[in-house]
Amino acid sequence: MNYPVWETWFAGGGLLITVIAVVHVYVAHFAVGGGLFLVWTEIKGRRENSPEILDYTRGHAKFFLLLTMVFGGVTGVAIWFVIMLISPGVTSTLIHAFVFGWAAEWVCFMGEIVALLIYYYKFDSMDPATHRTIGWLYFLFAWLSLFLVNGIICFMLTPGDWLQTGNFWHGFFNPSMWPALFFRTAISLAFCGLFGFVTAAFIRDGATRERMSRYCAGWVLIPLLAAAPLALWYVKALPEGPLAMVMGRSPEMAPLIGVFIWLTPILMAGAILMALRTPRGVKKALALILLAAGLFYMGSFEWIREAARRPWLISNHTWSTSIRLDQAPIIREQGFLKTARWVSREEITGDNVLEAGREIFRIQCLSCHSAGGPMNDILPLTERFSTEGMDAQLTGQGKLNLYMPRFMGAPVERGALARFIVEGLHGKKESTAVVEPEELPFEIPSFDEENDEYVLLAWGGPGMHGLSDRGSWWVMREPGVDIRAQLIKRGETPEIVTDDVTLVYAIAPGFEHPSKRMEFWSHSESLVGRRIPPDIGPAGNGTKGEMTFDDERMAYVAENVPAAPYSDEGSFNPYPLFTITASPAESIADPVSTRIAVLISTEMGCKNCHGGGWRVDDRAGLTPGTCRNVLAVHDRISKTTLLQKAEKGSPMRCAACHADALAGAKGDSNLLNLSAAVHGFHAGYLTGRDDDACNMCHPSAPDGATRGFRGIHLEMGMDCTSCHGKLEDLAIGLLSAEKKAGKKGADRLLAPLAPRGVDEKDRLKPRSPWIHEPDCLGCHVDFSPPETDELPPNQWTEDEEALYRNRADEMGILCQACHGSAHAIYPATNPYGENRDNIPPMQHQGVPYPIAANKNCKVCHTIDMEDEAHHPNSLATFRNER
Amino acid sequence: MNMDISALIPAPDAIPVHWGWLRFFLNLTFTLHLLFMNTMLGLGFISLVYAFKGRGEHTGAARDAAETLPTVIALTINMGVAPFLFLQVLYGPFLYTSSILMAVYWLSVIGFLMIAYYGAYIYDFKFDVPGKSRLLIIGLTVAFMLVIGFLFTNNMTLMLHPKKWIAWFAAPEGLLLNLSDPTLIPRYLHFVISAAAVGGLFVDLRKRWRQRAGRAPDPSHGPPGLTWFTHATLLQIPVGLWFFMALPGEVRIKFMGEDPLATTLLILGLGGTALALVLGFKNRLLPCAGAALFTIIVMVLTRDMVRAAHLEPWFTMDALVTAPQYSPLIFFLLVFVAGLMIIGWMLKAAMGRGKGAP
Repeated sequence: MNYPVWETWFAGGGLLITVIAVVHVYVAHFAVGGGLFLVWTEIKGRRENSPEILDYTRGHAKFFLLLTMVFGGVTGVAIWFVIMLISPGVTSTLIHAFVFGWAAEWVCFMGEIVALLIYYYKFDSMDPATHRTIGWLYFLFAWLSLFLVNGIICFMLTPGDWLQTGNFWHGFFNPSMWPALFFRTAISLAFCGLFGFVTAAFIRDGATRERMSRYCAGWVLIPLLAAAPLALWYVKALPEGPLAMVMGRSPEMAPLIGVFIWLTPILMAGAILMALRTPRGVKKALALILLAAGLFYMGSFEWIREAARRPWLISNHTWSTSIRLDQAPIIREQGFLKTARWVSREEITGDNVLEAGREIFRIQCLSCHSAGGPMNDILPLTERFSTEGMDAQLTGQGKLNLYMPRFMGAPVERGALARFIVEGLHGKKESTAVVEPEELPFEIPSFDEENDEYVLLAWGGPGMHGLSDRGSWWVMREPGVDIRAQLIKRGETPEIVTDDVTLVYAIAPGFEHPSKRMEFWSHSESLVGRRIPPDIGPAGNGTKGEMTFDDERMAYVAENVPAAPYSDEGSFNPYPLFTITASPAESIADPVSTRIAVLISTEMGCKNCHGGGWRVDDRAGLTPGTCRNVLAVHDRISKTTLLQKAEKGSPMRCAACHADALAGAKGDSNLLNLSAAVHGFHAGYLTGRDDDACNMCHPSAPDGATRGFRGIHLEMGMDCTSCHGKLEDLAIGLLSAEKKAGKKGADRLLAPLAPRGVDEKDRLKPRSPWIHEPDCLGCHVDFSPPETDELPPNQWTEDEEALYRNRADEMGILCQACHGSAHAIYPATNPYGENRDNIPPMQHQGVPYPIAANKNCKVCHTIDMEDEAHHPNSLATFRNER
Repeated sequence: MNMDISALIPAPDAIPVHWGWLRFFLNLTFTLHLLFMNTMLGLGFISLVYAFKGRGEHTGAARDAAETLPTVIALTINMGVAPFLFLQVLYGPFLYTSSILMAVYWLSVIGFLMIAYYGAYIYDFKFDVPGKSRLLIIGLTVAFMLVIGFLFTNNMTLMLHPKKWIAWFAAPEGLLLNLSDPTLIPRYLHFVISAAAVGGLFVDLRKRWRQRAGRAPDPSHGPPGLTWFTHATLLQIPVGLWFFMALPGEVRIKFMGEDPLATTLLILGLGGTALALVLGFKNRLLPCAGAALFTIIVMVLTRDMVRAAHLEPWFTMDALVTAPQYSPLIFFLLVFVAGLMIIGWMLKAAMGRGKGAP
């Protein structure tokens, strides 16, 4: 960030360095081993008094001179040129830290050139002993060059104590220096055999050709055998970070290691073939193939070494963005644009977002990524993202995927970068059109305050959850809703009706066949392990049926009622109505009915980051593209094969492995529970946000198609985080409980998270999902008006009984019966019709306020009451009337 | 664009020894590089002229030049590495920046160098192959050498002008050159012409060395290289004056009395040139070569001062932070001395009869 950036979109970063470095390093290693090969072969020729061998040596020396001194020498300079263009900051560090190391290497380079020129030009005119000495001196200089360069290259991977001391020798004799030196020496000897094959294969005389080919085969085989244990030593010398990368943390690594490992036997087999008598043409072809294979061997090794260094250019010193570790605090404090030199703007305004994003991209991305080029092309990697998704990706980058460096800069700068990538590079124009739900008609059942005998209160659950409609790929849990109701027999002392009554529920006409739009039933066998008939929930309930009485709650319930936010014709409606009808046995009057809207939505925001877009009406539903990417990412991060399974027709339910108390799924006891896993993973990507973090995934976005947060708390200006806390805190609480339970995965997800509501992570109480949830009384202390609109940290319910959905007043009336379901507390405002969520209070009171609000005790009691029997403050006047 | 130019200049890294050491090595090794570079380009010119004239009375001289050229290229590249290293240590923020601004051209130097280098070898190995292709090959070789020189001149001047860097904001594709710099052309010509002069001197020195080594002078060994030297150096007078006058006033004035050391160096350089010219015209090869060497050393130091004067508003050596570590310097000096001794021994061993270069 100190230097300007060469804006090369196509050849971005890696390509030039890779191409130049790999060919140079291949030839440079040949230049080392080849020195020994030359002098050794000359000795052999003279000892055996073989003019043929000496002719071969002379010819090989010419080839060697032209290849190593010209091509090798110039490409060596080229590496220097290209790294100073692509990574000038790191080049400067390397130059300054090791200036006299480089200078000593220059002396060796000079010695090499002089020795090689003399060796070649004086091959026949110098006395043999002196000539051999010149050859030995060439090898000495060449190996010393390797010795010096190797130390500095290894420094980048394992700088060792240099990080603390800055001492030249600590940096040079770093932890991986010796194994790398021996390994490189071994492969340099093997390579000289490979290059020897080329000159040997072109010898006209058959006998000499075969003889020299056999000779070269030995040069390949023995060093390659030695290289294998040396490579292991090298790996063993790596500290934790690079070692983890090599062992698979880097997604680049597996194919590279595969190529590297497989090429050893391939090269050895090729060398053995070369040693066998074969026609000249075959030998020539095979020699060239082996030469190319050697290049891939070298390339894969160097690439592994580079990839092991991720996300650093110099481990723990300079990130691959060329930002130094010591610059991070300044950037955090001042922002990136204010600290970078080569930017034309320090502030981001509405007009310059894309330009600012481009400047940030240039500095932080272009050194490794191309845009549309053959290497590390950022376009396919980011194609799936919306701007918000890209922003989230940048937020989480480098936290779990440790091979990428973290984004450095302020949130607004991160947003500008995200916009540049999405709009500037991909040319996507984010749709700014807000989904405007249309008002849907509904009827409020009648209630005669004077004559009706019963009050029927009902509500639905479980809450603010998205639902996968693509069971052919995966589901989090089964599609369905819970319906609950309490029937109260009116009178001066009303009673909760607990028997001699039949309560039935029925979904609105046109919604009776969720299986038409949801793929759960067609894949239920794979998803839940048994075949479930279409339009039947896992508990056996259909879209209409009889409710059962729950003694504990003193309520009638129908759990896991199958439902979809789609009508049978396919239109999206996340609030289908259910009619609940009670038929008390002792009543001679008509059955009593009420109606409720139950939130069920497929507006899962996965597509924001996983791509694919919406499936239905540009507002909801998962596409195969989204589903595939979710599984691919899971497979990559967690080493699973979910995508493959889904493609073979065996999709999974998340809760099958990740315990889910809501669905009653035990999962795998070694794995994180579903809530901890999902929130814990995504919290790293949605850091520093408020309710927009929730809205990225849940159907709660205020401009979305569901707008699931719709109760009185919305009208009071609160949002999701007012009760649930910030996502990081929520995730830390969930993960801490899992950590306490000994789950291995918790630490990895906890590591990058920083708490928001408290100073230290351990000040957040470990909590379990569906047990420790926001406690209403945390703010409404003793049911009184709250003094805060933000639930203080750690104010979770003690146990399941204390949950809002399970809690009852002193009389046994469940909280939700009077106040409505959790995210639609009366008076709620439903986007599909203002009072769609308020049907029970509107039916029984004509106003949308909680049942019996404003001392309307008559609803049940038929008379006015004076005692606050239900809960303290229950006779207060409703404060937030519309 | 309204910008604080000094804010663009990257912060330098700490150096391990006093900058005086690094500046000394920079100028020492640059002098060596310059000698080899001048010889290389000069030999290229001479080879091109011989190739243009075709076979005839100068075939021996042409062959000799052809055989020597690849070796001189190898040594020029090698001798370029060290000053390039020390230049980065002292002036990295300027050099890296200007290189990035002209990145496409800068990287293309590698390709051009490869072509020129292999071209020189092909010209040598195919020397006896009849046909016009020889002229084409050496022509291309020299042309690419000249292009490389031009690009180097661009970079070495662009790094001195941070005010021009601002152009990057409108053109970050690495395609900027320093063409508007009034010193660019005279500076470039100054180097190219001195190459012709030094190349001529090298040819004669090599002839003299061979004679002393007891080898009979090649009867076809062309006109004296001193002619190249004197003619080129005469041409250098107007070009040098042009170069001097093209320098920014605040730089030029330092050499006109404001800075005694700079002024002394310029006078010594001019005196050395005049002396070398006189000796050249008098056909006194070794004294002439000595005077030329003296002049080159003085000019290298003058060039160093010109650079420092250009950068004075932005940077002085004293601003460099030193994090002292002298043991690596000692290590280098030991390697340097040992390396030179071994190289000396090798060269001595090679003094016997050979089939050609080095």
